[in-house]
Amino acid sequence: MAQQEFIIERYNPDSDESYEESFNVETQPGQTVLDSLNAIKWEQDGTLSFRMSCRHAICGSCAMKVNGQSMLSCQTQVDAAAERGDPIRVGPQGNQNIIKDLVVDVNKFLNQFERAETWLEPYEDQDPPEREYRQKVEEFDHWSHASTCIHCGACYSDCTVAAVDENFLGPAALAKAYRFVMDSRDAKREERLKFLSEEQGGIWDCTRCYMCVQACPKDVLPMDAIMELRTLAIEAGHVNNHGVRHHKGFMSGVRKRGRLDEMMLPVQSVGIGRLLTGNLAAHKEMMDYTPGAIRLLKSRKLLTIAQRHGANTEGREHIERIFEEVEAEKHHHDVDAEAFGAEFETAIGGH
Amino acid sequence: MLQHDVLIVGSGLAGMRAALEVSSDPTLDVAILSKVHPLRSHSGAAQGGIAASLGNSAEDSWDLHMFDTVKGGDYLVDQDAAEVLTREGPENIFELEHMGCAFSRDDEGRVAQRRFGGHTAPRACYAADRTGHAVLTVLFEQLLRRGVKVYSEWYALDLVVKDNVCQGLVAYDILSGQIEAISAKAVMFGTGGYGRAFRVTTNAFASTGDGVVMAYRAGIPLEDMEFVQFHPTGLQGSGILLSEAARGEGAHIVNSDGFRFMENYAPGRMELAPRDIVARAEQSEIEAGRGVTALRDSVFMDLRPIGEERIRYALPSVLHLARDFAGIDPLDAPVPIQPTAHYSMGGIPCDINGQVRIKDLDGAPEITGFFAAGEASCVSVHGANRLGTNSLLEAVVMGRRAGRGILDVVQDLEPTSIDEGDMANAIGEVDRFLTASGTEKVGQIRAELRDTMMDKCGVFRDDAELRECLSEVKDYQERFKNVSIDDHGSTFNTDLLDAIELGHMLEYSEVITTGAIARQESRGGHARRDFPDRDDENWHRHTLAYRPQDGEDGPRLEYCSVNMEPRFREPFPLQERTY
Repeated sequence: MAQQEFIIERYNPDSDESYEESFNVETQPGQTVLDSLNAIKWEQDGTLSFRMSCRHAICGSCAMKVNGQSMLSCQTQVDAAAERGDPIRVGPQGNQNIIKDLVVDVNKFLNQFERAETWLEPYEDQDPPEREYRQKVEEFDHWSHASTCIHCGACYSDCTVAAVDENFLGPAALAKAYRFVMDSRDAKREERLKFLSEEQGGIWDCTRCYMCVQACPKDVLPMDAIMELRTLAIEAGHVNNHGVRHHKGFMSGVRKRGRLDEMMLPVQSVGIGRLLTGNLAAHKEMMDYTPGAIRLLKSRKLLTIAQRHGANTEGREHIERIFEEVEAEKHHHDVDAEAFGAEFETAIGGH
Repeated sequence: MLQHDVLIVGSGLAGMRAALEVSSDPTLDVAILSKVHPLRSHSGAAQGGIAASLGNSAEDSWDLHMFDTVKGGDYLVDQDAAEVLTREGPENIFELEHMGCAFSRDDEGRVAQRRFGGHTAPRACYAADRTGHAVLTVLFEQLLRRGVKVYSEWYALDLVVKDNVCQGLVAYDILSGQIEAISAKAVMFGTGGYGRAFRVTTNAFASTGDGVVMAYRAGIPLEDMEFVQFHPTGLQGSGILLSEAARGEGAHIVNSDGFRFMENYAPGRMELAPRDIVARAEQSEIEAGRGVTALRDSVFMDLRPIGEERIRYALPSVLHLARDFAGIDPLDAPVPIQPTAHYSMGGIPCDINGQVRIKDLDGAPEITGFFAAGEASCVSVHGANRLGTNSLLEAVVMGRRAGRGILDVVQDLEPTSIDEGDMANAIGEVDRFLTASGTEKVGQIRAELRDTMMDKCGVFRDDAELRECLSEVKDYQERFKNVSIDDHGSTFNTDLLDAIELGHMLEYSEVITTGAIARQESRGGHARRDFPDRDDENWHRHTLAYRPQDGEDGPRLEYCSVNMEPRFREPFPLQERTY
């Protein structure tokens, strides 16, 4: 038995008060954070509220922040959460409204699945087979990791994009969309890729910070799924959108000038073609960049004209070499991917 | 008053499958109500598989599956129900597969199947060792697609039945603290099991038998409640489930001598004997002083014979659970395990269409407009002991059948209504806890109850211990009248829900114990030291426990016969059950 201090971030909806409260709990080796919260609730303060159910990391109810990171409290050992003697800080999930204590309004997170229509859409032009669809083990293994999501919200809670963009579909919904894109039983692969490419808050809004992969208590690897979706979307020809133009602009800037060209990037992202043809929406998008551009100018983050024309010539051949090597590698990969694709088509043969 | 044509309480496999079936008629207004979000339902914790005689790995047939089920249930299984379960199994699996269920695959790309206890063929379809999660997820996805209304985090307080006609429900919105009446022409309970009354259990905190107690309080008898399954491979201490799939894949169970003791109990099936038999064998070894660890309260499960690669691929959850919850790596060392309360064979009596029906008595009166399916129900497909992977199958097959049963009758049912008087019980219960000032605490009584049930109504039972158990349960019921809670607020008051749930646990624990005292035989999950043999002459029958009326000091027990009339084959005659 040992004493462990817990500092809990609390919120009382009746008085609209937020405060921290400290509790001491007798803990035993192997005790989890959830066990400790229950000890507090059952023996010290019954008003403490949190969600829980299965207590073995499958129902997804008890995700919360432990020492600032989202995790399942049932799966987190007290000993692993803190050095003996240090208090353990427990708070509600991020990026969602708090209802009471550690209970947050999960609808904002869960509604994203509905928005991305993450359910199987059957083929309408043909009946399903009499028995099961055949799926190769390799095909199943390729996406099954993304089907292990327990919808706990830990990834969304720690997502750095969701923190600033209410509209972001978020790691879990995107990973689940990936799972259906990859599943040969689904009839809406093309529609999904189009939606995910063009939707505000879709695959191109991820900043690749990796927080979702770190927070996920299962094997979902949301960010990897998002990156694979980007590749699939481009391969499917969904290139005329803000995300891909931004991506290309980013690359061409680096290739030409050896560094990011913030002056040109907005123009390339919005689309030079769209701007030249007088697309009103495109011009409005440019206007939206103005305040940011002014801030960049003031902080001297934009390349000067001199820099744009003369800077970074030294060593540019190395950058060019890197690009060439990557392209050569990509060519090999594409050949492999083509072979895989053919095999995939055979595997799903008429679905 | 809120109103729907059909209201389904509980959002596990049975409830969601039923809702999906009912929603196939777009003219019907169907809603699901659940105290947890549907994705949190305990069906999702099922690990090893879902049975069906697909015959993908070896020759199999529905009647072989049926025979295994009847024998596994120690012949207390209703054979009309077992027949439906096993005959309709394959088509239900294919349907789930067509919905996108992430089933693991065999080399031919078909749904993979593996061995499981008590099944003579490899018929457990699986999604690694998270099968329940895979099925639960896919059903929820399809419900979203259909746009079915979900009352998520609403707590059902009271079932309203008048003159054997179900009127609807009184429910509590956990977010706002409001109590609402919801009337419906048809109500279905898929509210799950009642394992939380035992100290060592695999069950979620939510598995507090709310549905069975609501039915019991509404005057419906409960069937075979004394049959509780103890799963042989719970993690020592917490009782967290390690899937039977581990044994299906080849794990050994050994005592302190390193001996695979199933050799002495079920030499023909070894570790893959049915759960009741393995659990009793473990308990016998522990009681004979051959337990392991410092406490000597467990035996070892050794996964190493399976091989590392296969463990990682087929049993990832087992691997993680042992590491995260016991600090043991099954790749390096055996894991201490013990019997853990797992599954409730008993429940609300109903027929093979989910219609709640008081079987066998006075022409089997039905409760019009009231249906049940899944673990909350007692059809009875499991009899005295459920085989592994038959529970997910039951939830899906019987959920679908209940949905169809509702579709068959709902157009002919009269509109129902709930008035203020009908809400009085529920409002009174909530008010009583919110204003109570007693000295007893919910957590304390609950802990004592769980000790009592585990130690005196557990794997082995006898008359003296069961009577002590009953008297202690009654003592807790008295103390519970003097309970108070800390939280008097209206928003997300889980303190209040804990109290209501403890009330349910105390009520059904009395029913379990009373049924167990009366049943003077050993059959399946009910093992009496003082009556070690099965007694078909006197006890080949189901228990029906009625809530005590005024003047009665305990449940009134009646009995009804076991169905021996399958439609498509001869019944399986009673035989001695050996493995």
